[in-house]
Amino acid sequence: MKTLRYAAALGAWMLVSPVYFLAQNVPYDRILHSANEPQSWLTYSGSYNSQQYSPLKQINRENISKLKVAWIYQPSKAVSNLEASPIVADGVMYITEPPSTVTALDVRTGLRLWTWSPTLPEHVVSIGLYATSRGVAILGDSVFIGTADSHLVALDAKNGALRWDVHVADNAMGYAMTGPPLALKDKIIIGSAGSEAAVRGFLDAYDPKTGKRLWRFWTTPRPGEPGAETWGAGAYESAGATTWNNGSYDPDLNLVYWGTGNPAPDFNDDERPGDNLYTCSVVALDADTGKLKWYFQFSPHEDHDWDSDEPPVLFNASIDKKPRKLLGFANRNGFYYVLDRTNGKFIAGKAFVKETWAKGLDENGRPIPAPNQEPTLGAGTLVYPSITGGVDWTSPSYSPDTGLFYVSVHETGAYFIKGTGKIESGPPKGIVGGGGIRALAGEQSYGAIRALVATTGERKWEFKMLAPAWVPVLSTAGGLVFSGTDEANFFALDASTGKPLWEFFMGHSARSNPISYEVDGKQYIFVTAGNTYLAFSLP
Amino acid sequence: MTALRGFGVGAFVFLAFALAASKAWALPAAAQDLPTANPLPADVEQGKQSFEQRCSTCHGLDGGGAMGPNIQGIPMRIGAPQVASTIKNGMSGGMPAFGGQLTDAQIQQVIAYLLTLTRKDSGAVTGDAAKGKEVYDASGCASCHILDGQGGDSGPELTKVGALRGPGYLKTTLLYPGSDLPQARVFLETGGLLDYLYIHLVTNEGKTYDGTRVVEDSFHIVIRDAKGNFHSFQKSDLREFKKEPGKSVMPSFKDKLSGAQIDDLVAYLASLKGAQ
Repeated sequence: MKTLRYAAALGAWMLVSPVYFLAQNVPYDRILHSANEPQSWLTYSGSYNSQQYSPLKQINRENISKLKVAWIYQPSKAVSNLEASPIVADGVMYITEPPSTVTALDVRTGLRLWTWSPTLPEHVVSIGLYATSRGVAILGDSVFIGTADSHLVALDAKNGALRWDVHVADNAMGYAMTGPPLALKDKIIIGSAGSEAAVRGFLDAYDPKTGKRLWRFWTTPRPGEPGAETWGAGAYESAGATTWNNGSYDPDLNLVYWGTGNPAPDFNDDERPGDNLYTCSVVALDADTGKLKWYFQFSPHEDHDWDSDEPPVLFNASIDKKPRKLLGFANRNGFYYVLDRTNGKFIAGKAFVKETWAKGLDENGRPIPAPNQEPTLGAGTLVYPSITGGVDWTSPSYSPDTGLFYVSVHETGAYFIKGTGKIESGPPKGIVGGGGIRALAGEQSYGAIRALVATTGERKWEFKMLAPAWVPVLSTAGGLVFSGTDEANFFALDASTGKPLWEFFMGHSARSNPISYEVDGKQYIFVTAGNTYLAFSLP
Repeated sequence: MTALRGFGVGAFVFLAFALAASKAWALPAAAQDLPTANPLPADVEQGKQSFEQRCSTCHGLDGGGAMGPNIQGIPMRIGAPQVASTIKNGMSGGMPAFGGQLTDAQIQQVIAYLLTLTRKDSGAVTGDAAKGKEVYDASGCASCHILDGQGGDSGPELTKVGALRGPGYLKTTLLYPGSDLPQARVFLETGGLLDYLYIHLVTNEGKTYDGTRVVEDSFHIVIRDAKGNFHSFQKSDLREFKKEPGKSVMPSFKDKLSGAQIDDLVAYLASLKGAQ
């Protein structure tokens, strides 16, 4: 009798909360058709096309002024600069806490359901980066994280139990993971950071069930392979081109798109003559084999630290009245690019910030170098944009409603100083090569959210900010664009005009993808601020 | 919405932020945190090499900020032991721990190098510091500046100004205040915003305010007028908002003091290095 009563109570509870922690099963089809379940956020940028767009519209231009904090989650240990984009599925939110802790939260309240931390070495090597984590991937009933010491780990999504742990690369040599994995049908794709330690970049695919590596694509070619002629002798081995953020996927073309980092050493190019393929590029790989289908190099022979690790944005639009499959990329070098994502051909490009290093792009999208813009010894050379570029790793957003590409830009330059150090064998002692920059004073810099026509890069509007910000962008079907300032404001703009509609001072700037989800018929906007995760909703 | 938000909850948050921001720039009262060792040129050079290998990508080659914050003068502001601890153990917000890469001695060399990045110039002291103290006391400096815990606080504290600023800079500031403002609040990548920036603004209702910037974000500005009062505004409530880097609420002493008095005052200020 008692048992029956409990069963009845449980049944009633399940009716009230039909998705409450029960499923925790996110097969590939759900991620593939993420547009069909806007209440969830199933991959880093919300969907395989990395549009950072939510079809939810309960929160909109008319009611945004009423947006309030719904709940706050703070990690048990002060970490600051949380950068993880959460995954939201079936009533549970999966976040990470630096360096490599995975935590599951009740999405309604922010209460912690479980947490898992790896055993990290006493000294995790993190050269040219800080040991953060931009989140997990989910596939089936497992969640996956790349750790600060370069392991890929699978956990049971229901309880955080360890399923498998694969050692991907040698942290002692400088490999460190900060980017989230990307879950495909039967593969987990992940790369690693480490260009400043002069490692050789790669992108890997692993079996989600066993952790067995299925393929590896080295981002710099060996002698004899196509592209090897773009390096000096032996330089490909310690060449950088690391893959430290998330990528995108076109299921129809079965292509994975991923950005690559700067060559090593950054500011001393003496030992690496040539274009240095495939650094500062986007590569399109066959998802089944990892073979290179095409590449596009934004900054050949780069020496300003302008990695290209922002997630590539995939969208479809008409060019000359013909429907095209496109890839949009606001590159750290200051140019916005539109590529044909079936073959990598350049379609359009335009500077989206002040830049002085190129006179423009040629018909193939290759930059036409401006004279005297290389780093020099001594006082250095003033170059725009600065070391962090027009935008760094923070995701832009594309809205299919407006056809606009929204990006948080850095308007600033810096004096670039050439390094004199050389790459040494053995574990790295620090950033290789030396050199660097001297920043301009803050008053000479500013930030902005800019709305670009996605097919051309033409600027439609901008919202100016006091300082260059490091906050990704979210657009929604509610006609809103969410982002933040470096000073700690989190705000919403009208997606059509850029007019500010709402603002909240969080006490610390955001560093994660703002995302949106819905539970119990209520839409939430979610973002980090320093050591805090915040969920916003209407009253 | 009223232009002047007064001191409601929002203003309180801003004030707390402003005070926290300004506190980071107040000189620490404790004097024992200043490094007393006299580093050899070879130590400074070794520290420079370590700095350029491990620190400059984030903090800039001159410590003026890059992907990490401006750290010029940081040993003077927070003390060498705190800097050593931060280098060794890292800190939340992205600073890695270098304890596994640098020995304690190497960390001290980095700090010795950081000390050379402090904003000091090469001018020489020519005046008489004792006479300068008399000029200081007679010229009303204490109404705006704290010295050893005494004085007004609308200008920067001067207890250790001789350790932070060289005689040439001090003289320029006395003659042409506002001409070469220090950099204060720091943002990632940029070299920091100017401290004591002169602001002139007019509200939509037509009220005019002048003062120095206490804190600013993309949506708000807090200024402090010459009487020391705080005023907090939403930028959308302002008809006019002007930054005037050349101006200062501090009066020029160019025509108020003789050349000899200026030199004496500079000598006195240059002698203020806090208790060693």
